[in-house]
Amino acid sequence: MQTINTDVLVIGGGATGVGVLRDLALRGIRAVLVEKGDLTHGTSGRYHGLLHSGGRYVVKDPQSATECAHENEVLRRIMPHCLEDTGGLFVVTPADDESYADRFVAGCRATSVPVNEISVREALRREPLLNPRISRVFEVRDGSADSFLAAHVNAEDAVRHGAQVCTYHVVKALMREGDRITGAVCENMRTGEDVHIHTSYIVNAAGAWAGKIAELAKVKVTVVPGKGTMVAMNHRVLNTVVNRCKMPADGDIIVPIRTVAVIGTTDVHVPDPDVFGIEAWEVERMLSEGEQLVPGISRARVLRAWAGVRPLYKDQDVADDRDIPRTYKLLDHETRDGVKGMISIVGGKWTTYRMMAQEAVDAVAQKLGVQAECRTHLEPLPNIGDWGQGKPVTSGQAVRPLTSTADLPPPAYFWMGEPLAHVEAADSYGNLICECELVTRDRVVQAITTGRASNIDDIRRDTRLGMGPCQGGFCTYRAVALWNEFKRGTLPAPSQAAASGGEPEPASHSVALLRHFLQERWKGLTAITWGDQLRQARLDEIIYLDTLGLDLLPAPTPTDQNAPEMVTAHPAIATEYHAM
Amino acid sequence: MRDTVVIGAGLAGLMGALALADAGHRPLLLAKGQGATHWTSGTIDVWGAADGSLREAITGLVASNPQHPYARTGFASLEAAVARFRALTEAARYPYVGSFERNVLLPTALGALRPAAFFPATMAAGDMRLPGPVLLAGFHELRDFFPPLAAANLAAQGIDARGTYLNLPPIKRKLDFNTRSFAQLFDDPAFREDVGRQLRAARGDATRIGLPAVLGLKDPLAVVGHLQQLSGAQVFEIPTLPPSMPGVRLYTIFRDALVKAGARIQIGAEVLRGAAANGKLNAVFSAAAAREQEHHASTWLLATGGIAGGGVRTDYTGAVWETALGLPLRAPTGRGEWFAPRFLNEAGHPIYQAGIATNEQLRPLDESDTVVYKNVAIAGAALAGCDPIRERCYSGMALATGWHAGQLLAGANE
Repeated sequence: MQTINTDVLVIGGGATGVGVLRDLALRGIRAVLVEKGDLTHGTSGRYHGLLHSGGRYVVKDPQSATECAHENEVLRRIMPHCLEDTGGLFVVTPADDESYADRFVAGCRATSVPVNEISVREALRREPLLNPRISRVFEVRDGSADSFLAAHVNAEDAVRHGAQVCTYHVVKALMREGDRITGAVCENMRTGEDVHIHTSYIVNAAGAWAGKIAELAKVKVTVVPGKGTMVAMNHRVLNTVVNRCKMPADGDIIVPIRTVAVIGTTDVHVPDPDVFGIEAWEVERMLSEGEQLVPGISRARVLRAWAGVRPLYKDQDVADDRDIPRTYKLLDHETRDGVKGMISIVGGKWTTYRMMAQEAVDAVAQKLGVQAECRTHLEPLPNIGDWGQGKPVTSGQAVRPLTSTADLPPPAYFWMGEPLAHVEAADSYGNLICECELVTRDRVVQAITTGRASNIDDIRRDTRLGMGPCQGGFCTYRAVALWNEFKRGTLPAPSQAAASGGEPEPASHSVALLRHFLQERWKGLTAITWGDQLRQARLDEIIYLDTLGLDLLPAPTPTDQNAPEMVTAHPAIATEYHAM
Repeated sequence: MRDTVVIGAGLAGLMGALALADAGHRPLLLAKGQGATHWTSGTIDVWGAADGSLREAITGLVASNPQHPYARTGFASLEAAVARFRALTEAARYPYVGSFERNVLLPTALGALRPAAFFPATMAAGDMRLPGPVLLAGFHELRDFFPPLAAANLAAQGIDARGTYLNLPPIKRKLDFNTRSFAQLFDDPAFREDVGRQLRAARGDATRIGLPAVLGLKDPLAVVGHLQQLSGAQVFEIPTLPPSMPGVRLYTIFRDALVKAGARIQIGAEVLRGAAANGKLNAVFSAAAAREQEHHASTWLLATGGIAGGGVRTDYTGAVWETALGLPLRAPTGRGEWFAPRFLNEAGHPIYQAGIATNEQLRPLDESDTVVYKNVAIAGAALAGCDPIRERCYSGMALATGWHAGQLLAGANE
C-alpha cells in the first residue's frame, strides 16, 4: 500500500479537474489529481470540441452565455495552440422559426455575446456548401478546441508547478474522521494496489460522476447524466462552426475540428454515466438534421459516432434535461450538508472550465488560509506539440482586449494545415505512423516515452492516432509494434534512454493490447458502419486476419489480460455499449 | 462486339479472363480499379482450417455445404485452376510452390503462423515447420513491417527467432518510403550488395533470414538468390501491410499474359449498369470522363468482389445491393443483423457473407432460384455462401471459381 500526503486532492481528470489542479499549483498549494481513466476519459474527451461563443445560450440560459463569452476570450489568450479560430455562424434555415432571430440578437446584446449579422451571400461565399435557402446569418466568436490537448497542457503546467497527476486511479472510499473528510482510498488500476491519499481538502470535479463521489461522503448531489451522441463526418464540409438559429435542439450544430466535421448532438437522460449506448435513431437524427445545414451531408462517410454524458446539475425539478441550466455550481458540503473537507464543482461547459476552477480554488484557498490570487488567466499554457506556429492571426474580428489578459501576446491558433506544415518542414513523410492524421513516429514515440501514455488508447488521445478514415487499420499495428519495442528496450535512440528498465515485457502482452484496442474500436464502429466505412472495416479484416493472422496467435493468458497496459479493460472504466 | 466481357480485375476476374484467352477468346476486362490482389498477401489459400490433406478438406466441404462456392466448382476445377496458375507464374520466373497435401505455416509480420497451400518460391524458406534459427530483419523506414514484434511472437510459440533492424543503404533520390519504393530499391544490385553485407554481419547462427515482401518487382527470385549468396543464409519474404508487392507482381504477370493473348484491360472503367432483354444481358455501361461507355458482348463474367472489392455495397438504411448489374443478393436483413459483437468473432460477421447465389453453372439466381441472366457467370468474392477471409480461402476460391466460370463461358460460346 502506498500513502500520499497532500493539501488538496482533486477527483476527476476532465477539463474542470485539470483546471482546478493547475490553479492550485499556480497558487503554490500542494495538490494531487486522481482520475479513474486517462485524462479526458469522461465527458471532456467525448464532446464535439466547440469553443462556445455563448450564442447557443443567449435566450435560454443567459448566465451561461455571459460566462462562455468571457471565458472564450480568456482561452483564446492562454491556449490558442489548442484552439482553431474557425468563427461561428447562427443561421435561420427554412425549418426554423423566423421570430427567434430577433430574440437571439437581443439576447446577445443582453449577455455581452459579440454578434454581427452578415448577408446570406457573404455566408455562402465563406461556406459554399451551406444550405442556400437560409434566410438570416449571424456571426459569432465560436471556435473549435482540441480538448485532449487542452487537458494535457493544463496537467503538464500543474506538474511543472509541483502537482501530481495519477491517472487510472479509481476512488474506492473516502476517509472520514467525525464530520470531516480526510482523504481517499484509491486503487491504482494498473497494479491493483491500494493508494491512501491523506489531504486537508477534496475538490470533487468528477463531472457526470460527481454524484457517485458525493455518495461516498454520504451526501446527495444530483447530477443528471445527459447523454449526447455525435457523429464525425469524413469530410470537413465547413470551415466555420455553424449553428441552427433556434432554441437548443438535437443536431443543431456542425463543428469543423481538425480533419473532420462533427454533427451534434442529442440529449437523452441516462440513469448511469457508465452505461449507455448509441442508438440508431440518434445517428439518423444527426444526419437528417445535418441536412438542414449542409444539404447532402448525410451521403458523406460517417467516421464514427460516440456519446458523452453532460454533467447537468439539478437542484430543482425540471421537465426536460435540456431545461437544466448549463451554468455551473459550487457546493460547499460544510454549509450545505455539514460535511467538512470537501467541495463539489458541478455542471458547466468545457468553455467555462477555467472559471469554474478559479471559483472552486478561491473557496479552497480561503479554507486553507492561502492568500495567493488566481493566475490561470494570466499565464499561457505550455505549448506541447509546438502548434500555432508559422501562420499569422486570421481572426475575422479584432480581439476584444481584456484588462486582465491584455499583456498576453496575440493568439497564435492551431490551424488546419499545420500538421502537414510540420511534416513538410521536417521532411518526415517517411516517418508517418498514422497517415490519416499525419502522426509521425516521433510524436508516437514521444507519447510513449514521456511516460504518460500507458496504452494505445492514451496514445490515440495524445496524438490523434487512429482517428482518421482508416480507423486504425494501418497505424494500430505500427503503434503496438513501437509500444512493444519500447517495452522491450529496443526502441532506437535517442528515445532509448527513456525506456523503462526491468524485465522485458512478453510479446503476448502487446498482442493482448492489440486485440483489446481493436475490440474497443469495433464497439464504436458498428453503429455507423455502412457504405465506404463498411468497406474500410473489411479492409481492416484483411489486414488483421488475412495478412497479420492476429486470430491465429495464442489466446491471451490471464497474465496478459492483467498486464498494466490492459488497464482500459478494468471494470471501473470499461464503457458498456448496448447493442444497436 | 467481343465474345466475352469480364468485369473485375481481381484474381477471379484475371483467372476467368485467362481461361477465356486459353480457349481462344479475346476478352475485354473492365474494372473500376485494382482488385484485392494489391491488398492481400499473394499466397494461394485454399482452406485455412485444414489440418491435413486439402483435397480431403475441400471434398468434405463440397459434400457438407452445397451452397459454398467450392461446391460449384468441385475439387477438380480447383486443382486445374491451380495447375494453370502455377504454369503461368512459372513461365514468368515467379514460381509458386506448395501442395494440396498440407498447408504450410508461414510467419506473418505480427509473428503468427499463417496456413497457406501455395506460395511464391520467395516465401518458401519461411515454412516454420522447417528447422533452423531464424533472423527477421527490416528497416525503420518501412512502417509496414516490425521485425522485433514478429520475432518475439514467433519465439513465444517455440520458434528460434530474433528480430533486428538494418541501416538504410545510401539512396540517390528522395523517396516516400512504402512497400513499392522499397521493392524498387531492391531491384538495384548496389542496394542489395549493401543489405547483403549487413545481413551477413547480423546473421549470427541464423540459417534463414526473413525480410519484408518487398524484394523487387522485376525479378524477385533473382533478388532472393543474390541476397542468399551475399548473406550466406536462406532468405524468404514475409507479407507486409498493403499495398502488397506479391499481389502487385501477380497482377502484372496476369496483365502481361492476357495482353499478349489479345485480351484488353481497361482499368478506371466502373460498370454502372447493364441492359438486358429476354433473360440475356446485352450491354453494360461503364463510367468514363465525359460520358458513359457502352460495351456489348455475348457472354459476361462478373467478378467484382464482395464488400471489400466493391461489388457489394450498403447504406445506412440497411440496403445491400450489387453494384454493376443490380443482381439480387443473399444478405442479412437489417443493420442489426450485420455484425457480431466481437471483432475477432470466429464465425465472422454476417454482412460479409452477402453475395450472389448461383446455380451449378455459376449463373446468378433470384430469390425464387430462377436464373436472372443465362449468359452471365459469377466468380470470386461476389458469390454468396462464404466468408473467404474467415475461411482463409480468398485466393483459392477466386482461382477456382474464376477458372470454372471462364471455362463454362468459353464452352457456351462454342
